[in-house]
Order: sequence, then structure tokens, then C-alpha cells
Amino acid sequence: MTRIVEIPTSFDDRAMDHYAAAFGGWPAGERLLFDARGTTWVSPYGFVAMLTAAQAVAEARGERPILYLPASEDVRRYWARAGFLRHAAELFEVHGKVPRAPSGSSDTLLEVTPVRGSDDVHDVVGRVQEGASRILLEVGLEAKATIGFTMALSEACQNIVEHAGTTGWVAVQAYDWRRRLGTRVVVIAVSDSGIGFRRSLEPTQARRFGDRWSDATALEAAWIQNVSRFRDPGRGQGLAGIKRYLGRWDGKITIRSGTARLANVPAWDREDVPMTEQLPFFPGAQVQVILPALAPK
Amino acid sequence: MIQTIRLGHLLREAVTTPYRNLVTRPTGAAVRGRIERALAESGCRTALLDFSDVDLLDLSCADEIVAKLLLVSAPCPDRYVVLWGLRDDQVEAIDHVLSHQHLAVAALAAEAAVLDVLGAVDGDARAAFGCVAERGPVSAGAVAEALAWAEARARAALDLLAARRLVRVAGGAFHPLLVA
Repeated sequence: MTRIVEIPTSFDDRAMDHYAAAFGGWPAGERLLFDARGTTWVSPYGFVAMLTAAQAVAEARGERPILYLPASEDVRRYWARAGFLRHAAELFEVHGKVPRAPSGSSDTLLEVTPVRGSDDVHDVVGRVQEGASRILLEVGLEAKATIGFTMALSEACQNIVEHAGTTGWVAVQAYDWRRRLGTRVVVIAVSDSGIGFRRSLEPTQARRFGDRWSDATALEAAWIQNVSRFRDPGRGQGLAGIKRYLGRWDGKITIRSGTARLANVPAWDREDVPMTEQLPFFPGAQVQVILPALAPK
Repeated sequence: MIQTIRLGHLLREAVTTPYRNLVTRPTGAAVRGRIERALAESGCRTALLDFSDVDLLDLSCADEIVAKLLLVSAPCPDRYVVLWGLRDDQVEAIDHVLSHQHLAVAALAAEAAVLDVLGAVDGDARAAFGCVAERGPVSAGAVAEALAWAEARARAALDLLAARRLVRVAGGAFHPLLVA
């Protein structure tokens, strides 16, 4: 039996719950077929979420999922440019014409990149610093914001290494949100198929919350109280640093783990809510950071 | 005696990266281990940690290097740590992690002429530190006069700075930490 996971036509964080619901349950009992033939656009968040699902299947020793590539050649080329297809080939049985990977688009600050250990974090930070400073300044970020952005990226990637217990993925892209927000934005998407916030914090925090312990309370404990699974008092500062940075530059973060999603909602976003529970389960943790280039109108 | 330790140099020894970024906890721990070994071998009382050839310093690495170095050197009353050549973003990262752990360190930022204190110190201690840094060796009475305080208040602030090894006490005066 094969279970079809239809990739949303436009796959970004807002389509994530629809995508997560398509899996039914975890671990998947059937072979999965990711059908992206009708997909026309995927954000960094969508790319890393697809790889995360396939990674979770591989770790559960499930059968290699099938991926039907988008029907549109332009979309396939974009997928190649974004670095997604190179990594998809390792995790999926790919069906469809795979274009040769041209060099990254001018708005790609960081192609889809695996994060397996601290060396990868060094590489990610170095590459973004090296190649992206110019783009970030073009986008309109101040130099100081660019430094903070790289620091936030480093801390977000380290969460995979320190807490997930498995491989994760990161991608960074700049977008023109003039119609939506009146400015350009830079988006970091980080995802892993690891143990998630609840299991990571359970040994040290669950007793404190008692019956209230859940994916949502685990996210709150990490984000609001800066708790960590480590007893070292210096821990838990990565998210605190990201929070401070986003507060200063009017950025937004969403963290989805298991069945809950936390968001710090800046004034420019009137649609989102701070906490959503009872979502369709998805493995690991997915983090998205959105940074407006200029103060949104 | 002062030992200058170039963190960029230690970073190149610790990791095989072409970049000059102090990021990740394992990197911070590796660099701190090298700092501790260097200090143990030299026997110098003041360690000047030179950040001038470092690009990015993230919070995790700042915690592993600076906060943990202060914690492990806490039992050595004659060991002083001064940070040197810091950029604004590095100052901010170190100040954040030290405040979180109620620690403090003396630092000279890249463009600054006098030492500043980063981390968790109260207003009196910060003002007294500034007075010592600007005036050189001073008595509690001189600090009290400069800040228009009672001498007991000045002495309490200076004793706190000395206990946290942010100033040095010698010959009845409070000395700024040496950077050269």
C-alpha cells in the first residue's frame, strides 16, 4: 500500500498543517508518495519540511518514499537551484526529469543545507557571512542587523546539533513582500526530524508541569522561560538571544514541534496567534525566522 | 605579568574551518581548553583575551569561552581576565551571557580608550569601576570624593569589584587591570 502525500500547490509555513495531516500518523505504516506535480511554489520552510519527513522515514527504517517532481520545468529548475534536489536524491526515489543544478538564484542566501554537527554550523555561518552580507545589505538590512541575523542563524542551527539528536536542514532566502508588508524580508527555515521539544525537555521539566505537560507547554518553557534539557545554567540562551534580536528588529519566529506551534507575533502580522495546539503531528521541530528589511508600515 | 591570547589563533588550531567565527559550544569548549592550558603553562596573573581577529561570536560560544573560563578560574584569587579588541556585537553577546550567569569581566572594546565592565554588576560597582579605570590606582576615599559618595559606600563597591577580580588591590589602593 502507498499513501499519497500531496504537496501543497504553494508550500510555505501556512500550508504546513495541511501537509502534516496528509501523513495520517507516525511512523508511517505505508510507503509514502510525495506528489508535487501540481506544486508551483515552495518556500525554504517547505523544502526543509519535505526533507525532514523523508529523513524521519529513513530513521524509522521505512521504505524509501517516492517523490513526483513538479510538472513545470521552471519549478523543477528552481528546486534544483535551491539545492533541494541534490539532497532529495539521497532520501527519495525521485520520479520526473531532474534538471542540472544551475548556480543559486540571486535571492538565495543559503541553499538547502544539511546540519549534522557543529562543523556544519561553522560552514553555514561562514557561507552566509561570505556570500550574503552583500545581499542582506541590498535587501535593506542594516549592518548591525546582519550580524544579529547570522548569530540567530547560528543558534537556530545549533539547536539541531544540541537537542534534536539527528540531522536537520537549513535554508535562507530573501523575498519581496512589498505588497504584503511594504518591504523585503529574509527568511530562515530550520527543520529536523529529531525528538522535538517535548521529549527533549521531558526529563527536567515534565514533573513541574504535571498533567499540563505537552508539546505546547514544552515550547512555552523553552521560549518564555529559556529552559534547556541541560542543567548547565549557561544553557537555554540561544533562543533567548534570537528572541532579543527579533524584538529589536521587529522580526517574527514560529516554532512547530509535534502537535503545537508557537509564534512571537509582531505588530505587522495581524493574522497569526501566539500558540496553536492539537495540530497534526509532525516529527522533530521546525523553526522559521522572518526578518523585515525595514520597519514594516 | 600579562599573557595575551589571540582567540583567532586558537580558533584556527581548534577547528578546520577557513572562517574566523567563534560559533557553537564544542568550538567554544575547545578554545577554552586551549586558553586554560596556556594560562596553566605561563603562570601569568592576567590573561588578555584578544578578540580582534574574530568575526562573529555567538552566544553559545561566548558562554563556553568567557562565562565558563570565569567560573573555572574563580578559585584562583590572583588570576585576572581581561577581554580586548571587542566589537559592539561581541560586547553585547558577552554582556548577555555573563548577566545571565551573574558574572562580570573587564573589557576594552576595539575603539575604547578605557576599560569597561561587562556582565552583572550593580550601579555602584559600575561607577566605581569607571572611576578606577579612568584615574588609575585610587583609594576608597578618592573614589568617594570623585563620586560624591560616603567612603563606606565607595569601599563596599570597590571591595565587590576586588572580590570579583575586576580591579586589583595593592598597597592599599585599587588598581585597574593592566592591558599592556
